[in-house]
Amino acid sequence: METIVKDMQGIPLNHYLLLSSVIFSIGVIGVLTRRNVIIIMMSIELMLNAVNLLLAAFSVYHGDASGQVFVFFVMALAAAEVAVGLAIIVMVYRNTRSIDINSLNKLKW
Amino acid sequence: MEAATNSTPVDYLPILLQMLVAVGFGVTTIIGTHLIGPKLRTENKLSSFESGIEVIGNARQPVSIKYFMVAILFVIFDVEVIFMYPWAVNFRSLGMEGLIEMFIFMGLLLLGFIYVIKKRALEWD
Amino acid sequence: MSLFYFVAFLSIFFSLMVIITKNPVHSVLYLVITFFTFTVHYVLLNAQFLAVVNFIVYMGAIMVLFLFVLMLLNLNKETEPMKSVLIKVIGAVAGMCLLVTVAGSIRAMEVSDPLILKNPDIGLVSSLGKVLFNEFLLPFEISSLLLLTAMVGAVLLAKKEQKSI
Repeated sequence: METIVKDMQGIPLNHYLLLSSVIFSIGVIGVLTRRNVIIIMMSIELMLNAVNLLLAAFSVYHGDASGQVFVFFVMALAAAEVAVGLAIIVMVYRNTRSIDINSLNKLKW
Repeated sequence: MEAATNSTPVDYLPILLQMLVAVGFGVTTIIGTHLIGPKLRTENKLSSFESGIEVIGNARQPVSIKYFMVAILFVIFDVEVIFMYPWAVNFRSLGMEGLIEMFIFMGLLLLGFIYVIKKRALEWD
Repeated sequence: MSLFYFVAFLSIFFSLMVIITKNPVHSVLYLVITFFTFTVHYVLLNAQFLAVVNFIVYMGAIMVLFLFVLMLLNLNKETEPMKSVLIKVIGAVAGMCLLVTVAGSIRAMEVSDPLILKNPDIGLVSSLGKVLFNEFLLPFEISSLLLLTAMVGAVLLAKKEQKSI
């Protein structure tokens, strides 16, 4: 059992960085390529989660708890963002009957 | 039991085991009933059951907005709770100061809750 | 060691599935699995409270909200809009460019020290609470303001106004 714990440590920090950047990029691609507003918001959640994972990894790396505390604030931010964003989506859907992002181009010049 | 000071991921092994048992039970019962049970597929059996009445329309009816309000407020208060756990664990060492800080936090959220009640967002009319 | 790479592969795979699948409900379910793999990552990092919080908040609350909205918005197959192939290719290329840039800069930095758990107590609730209520007191109070704003904004936006005609 102890060997498993020993194995869990010792992963290069580089790999955490790489994993987080891959998932962040997947989130960016999702935002850029999808037109469904809900999936765009889910991609934003993916990006936030990638950052959370990196903050936790750095916090363990430096032996400092502030990184993990910061994740709480990111989570509070994500909850607030999701609540307001989904309320906006519901309002838009009620008025336009569509969740296509292109139905929101009225503000475009 | 009290020595939770240097807990490691290994301490989560019982939880993992329990989840494995739960998932395994669900999967095996579903697969098992598929394998064991007799299969008679008629028109009436395959149609969805609606108290004997013919099925009308799509199953994907839009849900009422009231549920959404409840869900949103649940998310907000859920996030509030994650700030309360660290406070509750450190309650003694933080003392009076921590209590006041938490009261400010709770007071601001209570303000929002009063707004919600005043706005009748949670009422089912 | 290999457990990390397995879980990392799973999280990348499922997060790819989130943006690939056409059905939004499947997408939400894949996102739930992705968040679960993140929870496993936190457990592996010995950030135990974070794992529990991730489980409760992300998988419990936020995902429920997403599913609710999907149910609210009466989505059938026809309502799912798709972008043109050109825009998809351009978006994918742009994302890959971002990934290559970031990966290249990480490579240039050369921080390949292994992650050693210096302080195993770091992810426990009590130590997090001490930091939260000493150094991060002001952000903590401000976050309550943020939550208040979100509550008011969501209610104001989503509440159906009484017809005052």
